[in-house]
Amino acid sequence: MAQTLHIESRGGRVGTPLLEVQNLVMHYGTKEGEVSAVDNVSFTLNNGEAIGLVGESGCGKTSVALTLLRLLPDNSVIKGGDIKLDGESLIDLDEEQMRRRRWRDISMVFQGAMNSWNPVYRIGDQIREALRLHWPETLTYQEETDRIGALFELVGLNPVTMERYPHEFSGGMRQRAVIAMALSCNPKVIIADEPTTALDVIVQDQILRELKKIQQELGMSIIYISHDIAVIAEVTERMGVMYAGKLVELGSTLEVFHRPRHPYSYLLLSSTPSITGPRRKLAPLEGEPPNLLNPPTGCRFHPRCPFAIDKCSSEEPGLVEVGEGHSVACWNWQEVPEIGGLQK
Amino acid sequence: MLKYIAKRFGQIFILFYVFLALLFLLLDLQPGDISQQFVGNPNIPPEAKEIMVRQLGLDQPKIVQLGNHLWNYSFGMDMGVSWSSYPREVSDILFSALPRTVFLFLTATVMSFWLGFYTGKLVAWRRGTFIEKSAMVTSIFFWTVFYPWFAILMLWFFASQLGWFPIGKFISVEKWIGAPYAADDVFMLMLGTIALVTLVYGVARYVIDRSSDDPQTRRNFHRLALWSLAGIAGAFWAFSARRTYAGDILWHTFVPVLTLTLVNFAGTTLLTRSSMLETLREDYILTARAKGVPERTIRDRHAARNAMLPVTTSLVLQLAVVIAGGVITEQIFSWPGLGRALLGAITAEDIPVAMGALALIGILSLLAHLVADITYAFLDPRIRVQG
Ligand SMILES: Nc1ncnc2c1ncn2[C@@H]1O[C@H](COP(=O)(O)OP(=O)(O)OP(=O)(O)O)[C@@H](O)[C@H]1O
Ligand code: SF4
Ligand SMILES: [Mg+2]
Repeated sequence: MAQTLHIESRGGRVGTPLLEVQNLVMHYGTKEGEVSAVDNVSFTLNNGEAIGLVGESGCGKTSVALTLLRLLPDNSVIKGGDIKLDGESLIDLDEEQMRRRRWRDISMVFQGAMNSWNPVYRIGDQIREALRLHWPETLTYQEETDRIGALFELVGLNPVTMERYPHEFSGGMRQRAVIAMALSCNPKVIIADEPTTALDVIVQDQILRELKKIQQELGMSIIYISHDIAVIAEVTERMGVMYAGKLVELGSTLEVFHRPRHPYSYLLLSSTPSITGPRRKLAPLEGEPPNLLNPPTGCRFHPRCPFAIDKCSSEEPGLVEVGEGHSVACWNWQEVPEIGGLQK
Repeated sequence: MLKYIAKRFGQIFILFYVFLALLFLLLDLQPGDISQQFVGNPNIPPEAKEIMVRQLGLDQPKIVQLGNHLWNYSFGMDMGVSWSSYPREVSDILFSALPRTVFLFLTATVMSFWLGFYTGKLVAWRRGTFIEKSAMVTSIFFWTVFYPWFAILMLWFFASQLGWFPIGKFISVEKWIGAPYAADDVFMLMLGTIALVTLVYGVARYVIDRSSDDPQTRRNFHRLALWSLAGIAGAFWAFSARRTYAGDILWHTFVPVLTLTLVNFAGTTLLTRSSMLETLREDYILTARAKGVPERTIRDRHAARNAMLPVTTSLVLQLAVVIAGGVITEQIFSWPGLGRALLGAITAEDIPVAMGALALIGILSLLAHLVADITYAFLDPRIRVQG
């Protein structure tokens, strides 16, 4: 009984690797050609850790998330790479095996979670559906209700509201309920794709803070995805910066904010005054992210990069280690100046 | 919810009176009045004509006439007397035709909705397959077909070529000679059975839903209730002496119900398909997938359940067409219902019957609207609370 009320992570010992993404390549097939939305992305999520993926709109963040859950649209092809959860490859699972893993092992808070609720069913019943599908033992109706109540309390909702329909919830409440649903089956990993983007700043802040608290208390492993580096700064320990389908920098959040090594990270950070102190007009981030139908040759960032050298337009830089757990894909990373770090 | 129903009920009540008044005015706007019909008849002396005018109340001011008209329809339960089958009461003629029409169209509507929804759902789910394409072609055929031609084709095929079913009519008169029951009574008993089963099932569902929290248990009990009720009703008819007569009536309903179902289901199929394709793009479908909900459940419980909402709305909009088509249908299948009574009355210039038939058709479509609205409110919680 108490077990059914216990909300925790089913992952392993804190600090050991949980989710390993290796050289992941994913394309969308379109009439005009192949969109290279995820190109050679590798990262590791450790148990009990919160990591972030940041990047401009359209750089493939959601595509990475959907690939991890194998929830991609029909026109997509996973071209290569591997996803290992607790050492077991998810790519090799057949669809039915994968279906059983979803939500139980990896749950997700979607971008625009406001619309994640089916309008004709009660919020509580939609969480109940997840429990019925994935909870290891069968629960009685009352046990399910108790668990949903406990989840509601955890995310700051009154348990009686589980009887309500989605339209009777405010945006913030719906978002909290989505988080409750993501936690419902004690998953190993939660992917939060823009978990607060649709909310106003105050609610956004409250929810982020609570999420962080829940994550730390329960030892959850979370991948946060956002275009907003302020969000990533607040809740993650390590972060990856994505540009045009590629992971261009990976390191501890403090380190990346203090001393970004990739020109794109640098420009992204220096154009966000709220976290890194007063805005320095060093070099603004100009232009648009490239069309992924035929991305630029060499380094995909070179048309916009103020640090570009000759080699950049022809040769593609690989991720190289530049410090303790800090890697970057840039030919000219030594030239990128220091920023000054987080001012929390 | 009750407030919502009461409000809708009040609205259709008012609408009905507006409709009645409009009917009256429309007929009144026609050149001449009823007494003119007798003007050319040399056999009627002028004094008699005057008496007639007074009897019919045509000497009264228009507004009084309108008042009488409304009063008689609502409180007097009096629709006047038929001119072509004088002195039969209009209500007598129409109230025996009414159940036949209601049965025909209700059955066809329910069946076509069910069939169309089911096909539309599957077709959207199997997008791009051969099944989808052939279902689309078939639906578009039925949707665009010239209805009277198709109805005659169905009759020709089933009644004349195959000889399985009768060519129209409500009963085979020769089988009923010396029958101990009147056809209308047997028919009413059949309708009564259906109504009773539906009602008891509704109550049973209500009780079941109140007494169990578990959806699976509820579903099992719903099924149990439905099957046992159907079993009891079936047994009642199987052992009833009326069963051959009931069989005869059912036999006559087959081709008209099938024809109506076929032409109506196509629209529902096409609409369900597009509604379903739209629903499948919704975020909550992706959520359901991420939750690891099996595909069939996503299709039925998540997508189709929501795709049903606009289809229900359109059902109401289609009603007008269905009812207008009723005249043609009943004429072609010699089905003695309201539509046929209306057409006969118009041909015979029997204004009271025509007026009464139109009024009843009006009530029917308003009631259908109400039913659709209530159904919609049950299906969509967002409507339910607004009231
Ligand atoms: N189904 C699809 N078919 C073809 N291209 C797609 C499809 N979905 C996404 N893309 C393209 O893939 C690229 C990456 O999209 P994705 O949604 O992963 O970006 P994102 O980083 O999540 O952006 P945002 O911040 O706007 O959510 C974009 O260029 C997008 O146009
Ligand atoms: S590789 Fe060259 S173009 Fe690319 S980010 Fe580094 S300096 Fe800029
Ligand atoms: Mg996205």
